Amino acid sequence: MKNRQPLFHVVKRDHAGPGRQAAAYVAAVVLALLVGAVLLMVQGVEPVTFYKQLLTMGIPGSRYPWRSVENFIKLFVPLLITSMALALAFKMRFWNIGGEGQFIMGAFWAGFAAMKLGGTLPQPLMVVVMALCGALGGGLYGVFVAALKVKWGTNETLLTLMLNYVALYFLQYFAETKTDWNFFLDPDSARPKFAKFPANAQMITIPIGPFNLNLSLVIAAVLCVLLYIYLNYTKRGYEIAVVGDSPNTARYAGMKVGKIVIRTIFLSAALIGLAGAFQVSSAGILSTSVTNDVGWTGVVVAWLAKLNMVGIVVASLLITVLQFGCQTASTTYPSIDANFANLLQGVILFIVLAADFFTRFRLARTRKEAAK
Amino acid sequence: MNDPINVLTLFLFNIVLVNIPLLYGTVGEIVVEKSGSLDLGVEGTMAIGAIFGYLAGCVANSLAVGLLVSFLAAGLCGLLFAVLTVSLQANQNVTGLTITTFGLGLYFFVGKGLGERWPAMTGAGSLVKGFSALEIPGLSKLPVIGKALFSHNLLVYLGIVIAVLVWWYLNFTKTGLRLRAVGENPGAADSVGVNTLMYKYIHLIGGSGIMGLGGFYMALYMSGSFEGSNCWINGYGWIAIALVIFANWNPVLAILGTLVFGFFNTLQIYAGSLAGAFPGSLGWLNTVPAQLYKALPFLITAIVLIASSIRRREGSGQPAALGLNYFREER
Repeated sequence: MKNRQPLFHVVKRDHAGPGRQAAAYVAAVVLALLVGAVLLMVQGVEPVTFYKQLLTMGIPGSRYPWRSVENFIKLFVPLLITSMALALAFKMRFWNIGGEGQFIMGAFWAGFAAMKLGGTLPQPLMVVVMALCGALGGGLYGVFVAALKVKWGTNETLLTLMLNYVALYFLQYFAETKTDWNFFLDPDSARPKFAKFPANAQMITIPIGPFNLNLSLVIAAVLCVLLYIYLNYTKRGYEIAVVGDSPNTARYAGMKVGKIVIRTIFLSAALIGLAGAFQVSSAGILSTSVTNDVGWTGVVVAWLAKLNMVGIVVASLLITVLQFGCQTASTTYPSIDANFANLLQGVILFIVLAADFFTRFRLARTRKEAAK
Repeated sequence: MNDPINVLTLFLFNIVLVNIPLLYGTVGEIVVEKSGSLDLGVEGTMAIGAIFGYLAGCVANSLAVGLLVSFLAAGLCGLLFAVLTVSLQANQNVTGLTITTFGLGLYFFVGKGLGERWPAMTGAGSLVKGFSALEIPGLSKLPVIGKALFSHNLLVYLGIVIAVLVWWYLNFTKTGLRLRAVGENPGAADSVGVNTLMYKYIHLIGGSGIMGLGGFYMALYMSGSFEGSNCWINGYGWIAIALVIFANWNPVLAILGTLVFGFFNTLQIYAGSLAGAFPGSLGWLNTVPAQLYKALPFLITAIVLIASSIRRREGSGQPAALGLNYFREER
């Protein structure tokens, strides 16, 4: 066989400069918006005005601008918490793509608490109880997979994927079954419909002038700081990084890998469950589309942010602006629907995934002597 | 309609008719996974194949053009996946999920954008004709199973043929053997001179193309009526990923698996009429919640996944290097 040597070969870079990465991301967003603009023009929509509406999210000139901000926060908080939680699992190379299922379980058990105890407890206590129920519900749904993975090496990507749908149809069962015992439904409605939560099971808001600050935003911000410290400055956070790099190294260093995996995945899934609890208590009602796809979008955000907590705040803000903006803009442009956000999101991530290659690897000239 | 035999026949007929897209999706994903790639973009790939195949088929008024375009459009998704994960070493899970997000986004963008100009399938006579039932002479005259199995449209038979061909290709050809080697241990395959890069690219494109055919089938089954909120694929792509595991990465078992999953899928619609037709023996069907039928494919697959990991049985068809990127310099 003839021995051909390619002119170039691929070599891993030691480290990537943050400047190079930031530039790649800005380029990705700009390029995606350009691709979107071309598509919009094909549809006969003027891209500049469309984007203006998208980026301002219809807030200026609105009669109730604060209401829009409140709704924006309701979309932003679940995505932020879910993305942070997923990043925790991904750092350990545990492919938890079961965010949807864990979120649903969190929402379901928080809803359970709201409907069962709603009338009996004062609001602050009720919100705490719902949060705990949600975290426990989501956490147990996730840790179950982690235990199987540790014990028997079950493929967690595929198993968490399957459990998403099991959870969805579980919730649908309660949404669509009209019987006496089903306390989730509105008793006054003839067809099955989720009942509104009692008033004291709704998320606490802090009025600041005309604006009602959703308490979950404050909690999410605190969580973000805590997780940053946990990952970067604690022994447990360090263990996550080591297990992610190489489970064998961790084992030689005397770490109990199984214990670390189970602990971390419980934390990750519990946070997602907590996000579900916040979502339903902010909405004040359960719904079968409660997740708003955050389990999927969270994967995108975590990846865009390179699993970095600060990056996740930026990326989830960006994605929420895209989604919320497309929702508002689509009310003026009937031919463009809210799914346009998914299209843009996809293009951004494709470009980032491609650009990542050039920050992680470089092309090197193959030298003659190296070829021998 | 209320004749019990009639109800049973229709039930069996629909198990096949409604669920063949699952077979296309599954066989496509088996081809892809055998090359070592875990592509979670089946749903989006099928959606792209569906919409572009349908539109092209309508414009050209030709079933063949529709099939070809759906294959090519979905194949492009496979090419994208290959460029990102094989050449550019991107994470496979994230890339696959992004293809689904992007594919569904594009599907709705194109569909919504056409609005009034959306072509009705009745305007393309050859699509309607191509999707109408072909009775296999002789066999279709058999009672019950004649109608249930042997009087289907062309694409049903095509799906079965593709599944059997892929099975033969994987198990009895030299390239099929090499492909499996690439999926099991790309380093070893590379060292004996197999062009792993090319194998991965070709099978990602081909496998995704087969998924696209399933999408096109779905478009025709829905008579090409575009709804703003529901995608034609309606979760079939995800069930297909489950079915690959259930069928143990074997395309012929996938035919059987399609019928099993299809059985539950169809039961959720037919439970009422079956219970009505056979009140004595099947009356209990009415008491089972429909959501359980929907959840069963995923529940069964979850159990299969767990059970096979506990038993670590020998004959598992899961490629050893599934989901792992192959970086030549680290061989």
